[in-house]
Amino acid sequence: MMKSIWSACTIRLMLLLLLPSSVAWSQQLTGRVLDGEYQPLHGVHVFVPTLMQGAATDSEGYYTLDGLPQDTLTVEYRFVGFATVVRSVPIDNERMVLDVMLEPEELELEEIITIAEGASAELNRATMSVSRLEPEDLEKLRGQNLAETLTHLAGVTALTTGPSIAKPVIRGMHSQRVLVLNAGVSQEGQQWGGEHAPEIDPFAPVRIEVVRGAAGVEYGVGAIGGVIRLEPRELPVSPRLAGSVSMNGFSNNRQAAGSVLLESGIRALPGLGWRVQGSFRKAGASKAPNYVIGNSGFNELNGSLALGYKGDNFALRSYYSLFSTELGLFKGAHIGNADDLQRALRRGQPSVQYEFLYDIEAPKQTVRHDLFTLSGHYDLDSGDRIEAQFGLQRNRRQEFDAHRRYGDPVNDPAFDLTLATQTLDVKLRSIPRGSFFGVLGVSGMNQGNVNVEAGYLIPNFRALTGGTYARATWVGQSLTVEAGARLDHRWLKAYPRMNRRGDYARTTHAYTNLSGVLGTIWQFSNSWSVALNLGTAWRPPGVNELYNFGVHHGTAQFEVGNSDIGGERSYNVDMTLRHVGENSRVEISAFNNRMDGYIHLFPENEARVTIRGTFPSFRYEQTDAVLRGLDGVVEYSFLGVLELRAQGSVVRGDDRSAGMPLIFMPADRLTLGAAVSLPNLGKIHSSEIELESTFVRRQMRYPKGVDYAEPPKGYSLFNLGYRVEIASGTSVIQLGLSVQNLLNTVYRDYLSRFRYFVDAPGRNVVLRLRLPIG
Amino acid sequence: MQSPSRKPFSLLLALMLLPLAFTACDSTEPDEGPGEEELITKITLTLSAGGSTVTASANDPDGDGSGFEIDTINLASGTTYTGSIALSDEINGEDITEEVGEEAAEHQFFYTVGGQASNRVSVTITDKDENGLPVGLEFTLAVSGGGATNGTLRVILSHFDDDPKNGTDQSDETDVDVTFPIAVQ
Repeated sequence: MMKSIWSACTIRLMLLLLLPSSVAWSQQLTGRVLDGEYQPLHGVHVFVPTLMQGAATDSEGYYTLDGLPQDTLTVEYRFVGFATVVRSVPIDNERMVLDVMLEPEELELEEIITIAEGASAELNRATMSVSRLEPEDLEKLRGQNLAETLTHLAGVTALTTGPSIAKPVIRGMHSQRVLVLNAGVSQEGQQWGGEHAPEIDPFAPVRIEVVRGAAGVEYGVGAIGGVIRLEPRELPVSPRLAGSVSMNGFSNNRQAAGSVLLESGIRALPGLGWRVQGSFRKAGASKAPNYVIGNSGFNELNGSLALGYKGDNFALRSYYSLFSTELGLFKGAHIGNADDLQRALRRGQPSVQYEFLYDIEAPKQTVRHDLFTLSGHYDLDSGDRIEAQFGLQRNRRQEFDAHRRYGDPVNDPAFDLTLATQTLDVKLRSIPRGSFFGVLGVSGMNQGNVNVEAGYLIPNFRALTGGTYARATWVGQSLTVEAGARLDHRWLKAYPRMNRRGDYARTTHAYTNLSGVLGTIWQFSNSWSVALNLGTAWRPPGVNELYNFGVHHGTAQFEVGNSDIGGERSYNVDMTLRHVGENSRVEISAFNNRMDGYIHLFPENEARVTIRGTFPSFRYEQTDAVLRGLDGVVEYSFLGVLELRAQGSVVRGDDRSAGMPLIFMPADRLTLGAAVSLPNLGKIHSSEIELESTFVRRQMRYPKGVDYAEPPKGYSLFNLGYRVEIASGTSVIQLGLSVQNLLNTVYRDYLSRFRYFVDAPGRNVVLRLRLPIG
Repeated sequence: MQSPSRKPFSLLLALMLLPLAFTACDSTEPDEGPGEEELITKITLTLSAGGSTVTASANDPDGDGSGFEIDTINLASGTTYTGSIALSDEINGEDITEEVGEEAAEHQFFYTVGGQASNRVSVTITDKDENGLPVGLEFTLAVSGGGATNGTLRVILSHFDDDPKNGTDQSDETDVDVTFPIAVQ
């Protein structure tokens, strides 16, 4: 029917087939695999995980598994494009026959090394630390922004600027050290500051995966601290209109959020599929337990369109997404100078009792991000695959100051930047030759930034980046080894302002460097593996680090760029222990990330005296740093009724040159969760009650005398949730009710930029409803 | 699997490629001109007593402290001056005094005398906003009799947006904060 489609998972399976069986049993399982229309499926993988034994169906759909023990075996039937079927088969006769029917699956998987399935694949997933949010996890978190969603993964925390802005921090690193890969292309927004959140629709139909630490060679120059991958689900092939409607309500900021998704194949053109999706979020001001955090609401409107065609040996897909938001910034954090900040700190709470409002006033931000990708692959006669991806992005960010002398603060932005980016990636993925397979690729990026009004947050610039890489993987019986190298060059032309009278300089920079990775996975038992990854990655300085100049509102900090700094390099060692058992799952990673030329803001000896007062001055400098830590998750299920989970992360960041801790490292945290599955009741099933508690320690390691205030006290938060699925005809309605910050705890987090001014939001009751269409 | 006919396929391809038509490699060359930014670059105090006038300025030409210059205020013992303050944006050629006057209920100046001169020099705001609270664009500066001394005069302009103005407290939004040296002859 189709040319064999191979994946990392498949490759392992194929290799496993070659392994000789050590013990000879005599039982046989045979049968036929058909699709929904009783047509035979060729190349379906029939696999017994406990025996690491498998077979593939022939052109008539028949399969045979020989030499099976007398036992009840779990057999998996996997085929790309179809839902996996798992059957429990008591093998007691010499020859058992089992015919299976596979239904087309709409959530098809891309064949990418880091996205695989099954227990063995799980254990052999990656030599790096990788966490994934499954669709059901995502469903529990719907309606929250990307960073809030990702904090449910070990090693990920959020850097917040009030309730409306959050950006993900992976093992202490964020912004330009973390790459967001959206639909295969690197998301290029104005990620210069901590108050610039990634422009991602929280309802986007994607799988989310987080690579912690330097992420190999395939992702490019930004991936020094980690990668967040958002992989759109495959387009449907069956000509059946399907979709869903999601509705969320949040009590704390009286947020309403919703999403509609429709998708289908087309009968007249088999292979063609489409999807339309739109979402909105509207929130008013959030409430801390004792007061309203004034002007912290947001309005978000997002949408995406996807159209794709899948032929016998090629596929083509286009994807367009729009993200747009208008968000308010807490007014009390809009301060004048360092004295004002001290005054606010002494007061410890807002000077005004704000009322709850949906209205958004200045200071505020509006952001619009358009992303278009065109991607495709072509299978050569040899079976090797060529993949190509073109991306086009436009990011417009407007920041409105609280006051505007020459205009209306609500309509005239203080800064108005447009960043346009084009990317092209082409790669060749080989089929396995012997025990080897590999990838060879080239990528290029053209980026331009323009200040619409001649403000000066980030100068106008043009950047051209090109890279080439190769990675090879060797898969043995219980050992996988991979090695890769990448060469990148970046050319940058910037137009920094020389003075306020409209004179601009023109400077150029060029950077060339190598990245590399060497990794191995050893699956030392059926249910345990250990992975080791040695990686070196590199990042050129960002334009803000080179040319920033001015006061950062909210922190009353004068920031000065340094055009002499070079790139930073990381040498990362990462070890991950994985276990996938019948009732348990473990994934624990330890890392040591040495950073040479680590770029950070370093306090200058003299404060800057201006007509507006005195500002402590910081300049971008380089130092040698090291980040070490431990993160992971342990899950255990008792009889499938009670599930216990413990997740934690610890990061230690040090400036090796100065011999003191790095500033703004996430505090140690531990999350404990218990979920109880309730018995099914007629049409009500999959109901579950979950209690979760998060404990965050006070950050005791920070450079003395640099920050305005000591790190806030540690805190513990409790969340309670209930979820249920209600069968209605052939479809399933999902309903969830949860309470976040159950005890309405007053707290401030060290990584909140507004912790100088306000407490974090209090109790939040969240209602989630998802209705299927079709 | 059957092959799709050519026509719908090329149409589809054209549709997929459509956004490329809007791509252009725009120039990133900056436009001429400085653009309009909120800025106060110059403050001038004018003090008059019996026909003689003393002026002193604080000048921060780029607004970021580069080349910041402050004059010393030269005062005579036993004199009461009538004072006014003027704010301007020299880059955009704008007079900001007028704007503060129009939004008097949202602004207040605070004058603080420091150093040895604090016993001898006092400032009293004479103008009021619509709520009867002090503004500080107009004031009197009194120097009591005695010998030569020196000190400082700190001028703060608070902007009241959400913080209510009560006539006594500063806000957390400081538009101006400069400290002039004072020399009493």
